[in-house]
Amino acid sequence: MTRSVLILVGGLVLGVLAYAGMYRVGTNNSCCMVESKTPELAWLQQEFHLSDAEFKRVSQLHEQYLSGCAERCHQIDLKNEQLARLLEATNNVSPEIQRALAEAAQLRAQCQSMMLQHFYEVSRTMPADQGKRYLAWVRSKTLLHDAHAAMHH
Amino acid sequence: MKSQQFDQNDESLSRVLREWRVETPLPPRFQEAVWRRIELNDNQSSNWTLLLSRLLGAIAKPSLAMSYLMVLLLAGILAGYWQAQIANTRAEEQLSARYVQVVDPYQTLHH
Repeated sequence: MTRSVLILVGGLVLGVLAYAGMYRVGTNNSCCMVESKTPELAWLQQEFHLSDAEFKRVSQLHEQYLSGCAERCHQIDLKNEQLARLLEATNNVSPEIQRALAEAAQLRAQCQSMMLQHFYEVSRTMPADQGKRYLAWVRSKTLLHDAHAAMHH
Repeated sequence: MKSQQFDQNDESLSRVLREWRVETPLPPRFQEAVWRRIELNDNQSSNWTLLLSRLLGAIAKPSLAMSYLMVLLLAGILAGYWQAQIANTRAEEQLSARYVQVVDPYQTLHH
C-alpha cells in the first residue's frame, strides 16, 4: 500500500518536474532577450539572424539614430503644444493655425524621412534577404501603419 | 402585555398542533424506498473505497507503474513545451512592438 501511494505521488512529482524543466528550457532564449540591456535589439538580432558583427553595427546605427530622435521628439512636443494652444484660442482656421499645421506636417515628413533613412541603413547592414524582410516588416509597422491608421480615422 | 399575548398564542398553537392529524397517506412502498436509498448511499461510499484499493493494488504492478509514470512524464513535457511556445510568442510580440515604438516618434513620442 505504501509503495503504491509512493508511486502515485512520485508520478505527480515527475510530471510537475517535467513541466517545469521543459518550460525553463523552452523559454530560455526569450528570457535572455527580455533580460538583456536592449531587449528590442536582442529581438532584432534573433528575428533577422544577425551575426555578432552585424548586430554590433546595427546597435551603433540604432544609438546614433536615437540620439537625434530625442531632439526631434522634443520638437514634436513643442509643435503639438503650440497647435493645442492655438486650437483652444479660436474656432476658426486662422493663418496661425494654418502655419502651425504646415510646420507640424513638415516636421512629421522630416522625422519620417530620417526614420526611413535609418531603416535603409539597418537593412543594408543585414544579409540581403533578411534586410529585405526587415524593410518590409518595419515599413508595414511604421510608415504604412500610420497611413493605414489615418485612412480609418 | 406583549408577553401575555405571546403565551396565549403559544397555548393556542400548542393546542392546534396537538389536534393536528396527518391524513395524507404515505406514498406506496415508502419504507422500502427509504431503506433502498440508505443502502445505495452505503454502496456508493464503499464503491469509492473499493475503487481506490483496486487502483492502489494495480499500480503496485511494475508494468502499470511504469506506464503511469511515463504518461505523467510525457504529459508534463508536452504541457511545458506548449506553455513555453505561448510565452515565447508573447515575448516576441512585446519586443517587436517595443522596437517599433522606440524607432517611430509618432507611435511613442518619448524615449
